[in-house]
Amino acid sequence: MASDPSISISSGSSDSGLTEDRKRAERLNTVRENEQSSDTLVSSVLSIDDEMEKLNERANAEQVSTLQKQLRIQVSTLIASYTTGRAESRTGGTGLAQLIEEDNDPLLRQNLATQLAAQNAHNQQCLYRTCAGVTSFRVQDPDPNAVDGGRVLGIRIEAVRRAKFLRPYYVLLNRPYPNSQSLRVHRHTIPPGIPLSGLAARCLPPPQPDQPAKQDLVKFVRSLRREIVRHHHRLYAVSYLRKAANLNRRAAEMAGDDERLVDIYLGSADAEAKHVEIEYADGRTGRLVMGDDGELTKVVVVSDTAGRDREAVRELLGNAVRVEDVSSRLINAVRDKNSPERAVLF
Amino acid sequence: MVRISTPTTARLPSSLLLDPSTTPAVSKTLSRLSRASLLSLALDWLSPNNLSLCTPYLHDPEREEEEDGEDEDDDFYPPAHSIADLQDLYSDLQTTKGSKREVLDRIVEGDWRHGVSLYQLAMADLQYLYDHPTSQKWSAYRILPLKPSQTTGSDEQEVEGEVDRESLIVPRFHPSTFLRNLQRQVLPDVKAHYNFDRHKTLPLLILRIFILDSPYNTNLSLSSGDSVGVAGGGGGGGGGSVVYIAFPDASPYIYLSKPTQSGGGGGGGVGGESKSLRNLMVEGIPKALSRPRQRFTLKSTNLVTRNLGELLEKRGAGRMNGAAGGWSIYAGEDGRRENPLDTVLPTPPLSEGDEEDRLAGEGGKDGEGDKRKRDRAQSPGTQRDERATKRRKLLAQARFGDTAKINGGRGVERVDIVVEDPFPLTTLTRKRRAGGDDGERGGREGDGEREGEGQRKGARKSAVEMILEKESADDEDHDPLRDQSGGKDPGGGGGGGGGRWRPSIRLTFHGPHVFAGIRQLVEHGIIDGERMPGWMTGEEGVTIGAVRNGRIRGHKGSGI
Repeated sequence: MASDPSISISSGSSDSGLTEDRKRAERLNTVRENEQSSDTLVSSVLSIDDEMEKLNERANAEQVSTLQKQLRIQVSTLIASYTTGRAESRTGGTGLAQLIEEDNDPLLRQNLATQLAAQNAHNQQCLYRTCAGVTSFRVQDPDPNAVDGGRVLGIRIEAVRRAKFLRPYYVLLNRPYPNSQSLRVHRHTIPPGIPLSGLAARCLPPPQPDQPAKQDLVKFVRSLRREIVRHHHRLYAVSYLRKAANLNRRAAEMAGDDERLVDIYLGSADAEAKHVEIEYADGRTGRLVMGDDGELTKVVVVSDTAGRDREAVRELLGNAVRVEDVSSRLINAVRDKNSPERAVLF
Repeated sequence: MVRISTPTTARLPSSLLLDPSTTPAVSKTLSRLSRASLLSLALDWLSPNNLSLCTPYLHDPEREEEEDGEDEDDDFYPPAHSIADLQDLYSDLQTTKGSKREVLDRIVEGDWRHGVSLYQLAMADLQYLYDHPTSQKWSAYRILPLKPSQTTGSDEQEVEGEVDRESLIVPRFHPSTFLRNLQRQVLPDVKAHYNFDRHKTLPLLILRIFILDSPYNTNLSLSSGDSVGVAGGGGGGGGGSVVYIAFPDASPYIYLSKPTQSGGGGGGGVGGESKSLRNLMVEGIPKALSRPRQRFTLKSTNLVTRNLGELLEKRGAGRMNGAAGGWSIYAGEDGRRENPLDTVLPTPPLSEGDEEDRLAGEGGKDGEGDKRKRDRAQSPGTQRDERATKRRKLLAQARFGDTAKINGGRGVERVDIVVEDPFPLTTLTRKRRAGGDDGERGGREGDGEREGEGQRKGARKSAVEMILEKESADDEDHDPLRDQSGGKDPGGGGGGGGGRWRPSIRLTFHGPHVFAGIRQLVEHGIIDGERMPGWMTGEEGVTIGAVRNGRIRGHKGSGI
């Protein structure tokens, strides 16, 4: 459950390494769009335009919005694929840039140019976000009294769960100290279970008048991302554990076991996702505590009448050292018990 | 019935019965509830989980034989024969119409004539809280870890610890351990009854504390007692205070309610008492949360509201804690649009994060899009007006994001701001000197705005002034930490000019949803959305604050 070592901070808007990344973006886009040639796309966009006119008259708002969405997808696909052509134009081919120059309508030409630029920037941003876990961007603080002219540095930390991008976490930093370049956390969307303030105090201390500031933004972001990834991994481990416990419970119910495990769930008061509650059918309760990286720290099962139940703990843990071991142990236990007629469970 | 009272340090048992006829708190608490709530409460009492602590008065054949002189027909509310009968009876009452009085009398004089337990009273109080979610005023406190104390073993003096800013510990708590420790902190001449309950809709654990100033834990001290009728306190009987502590799930905050006097009791001295009670709580709670070698303290976060939803948003487990107001676009729930695998150009480009750009983009698009074709028939004046309205709406959207909607259900009722900026004359002249029509216009508008604020203040001076003075005094009492950190804040040192006149301006915003009101004013063009200071959007997440250089002083935005 250790965090991903590959971490880099890259600026989405900088021009350095632009050509390399554009090539990569192009390759990505070509792969994505090669099934449709751009000519058919143009015609389909036109036909959608016609249809939209008709529907507008009938004021069929729902269909219009679907078609508009479709149109947006087509437009961005089209522009992205023309971007490919644009690169070719340097070597003699035809591309959107050339098309723009040939077009006589100045408004359309301008529109296309801005659209193209925006799409290029967006593609690059998406690429960076996909490949690097942390990206940075600039924000203008809308507050007219904001420090440092409202310049804010935004840091976007991607979170991934089960091969899907979740909503990223943001940390926005500004430079409030006079005569100093030191940063301070201005706004953030980090949940309270992650010790952001402690990390900020360690890596981004406010400047002292007598000594030069020793701020380490890279270390701050790296450790913050590490904490976020760990947090998500712990959450995932607990949900997996719960799934295993459910499976186990169903098997035990079939077997008529009175001392079966009922539920394993996250303690509600626990912000860090480290405490796991365990419930048994006969009223025993337990608690499992894991460390930062999912290693088992403490496990205890208590019953109202007999006090601590060490036997149950042994049964639950075996020789597990990590939370995942407990989950796989629970699942294996079901498999062992599983007679052919109970195969329906799997 | 315990006849002998001995002082103890134990807590009040949940099963302690209060006689409705002698304890005014019981009927007072129950009569606050609506008929529907009373009925569902009675059915809750009769459910198998609660029955052991809420036993009703049932028909008892043995007792019947003993007291044969008493005729059952005389009894207006003849005791039921079984729990199931009672359950049927109350379910039937639910379907029929009738007065609240009827149900109340039935409970107090009929089925629970021998007394209502403290547990039942707590349930009734909590039912009232669920029925009237804004009945309590909550203040949010943050739990902060303290540095390990440096005192040696021989030094018995209690040293106030220093907040460990570099600590990576996220505090958490365990209800029963917390309660045991809290009981240890409560003084021996005060008795308390504790009741934990999970909030029905919000992710909260609510602890109700019923506090009684008496060293005894029998019902004598509650001035009840079957026929003895000895008033325990002599203070008019049975008036205990009730405090609620709410623990939001998965977040290091605590919400503390303002103590209220329950039951009749003397009206005098409630204010001072409740304040000291609250201080007692603020001192006791961190000690109850602390463990050996791991100590915590409570720090006020300057957010007071009646709205628990707002508290959970600003001081809860979500992402909005450090990104309120316009910044909430980064914390919003609409994650679908921010997938980096989606190459469709976002409209508006939220991913760019630049609100000004987004605004300009939208404005430009609206100016020349389909709208224009349709609006062509209208006169240029209306068109301009419409465009201005639209622009103001977008401006409000940029400054407030998706927060501060009037029907959002979340808001604060009161915001107190002390402006400590130097008199704006100098800034105005600077702007005029800088020249440009924009600066001129802006300066004039700013003047108007300030005048408006002054008038607002002047109009309600008498009442507001008084409350504010109290609030600021409150603040200093409660919260020396805030002032200290404000003084040390290197960011606040920008102004520094000692010779300039700093008028003391205090602003109080009142209303059901203060920031939604400000948003509406922006949308209607009464407040200039571009020049409006950031604290007026509510992005600082505080309700009490001092403004210097146009920013909330000492508060570090995200609370770090």
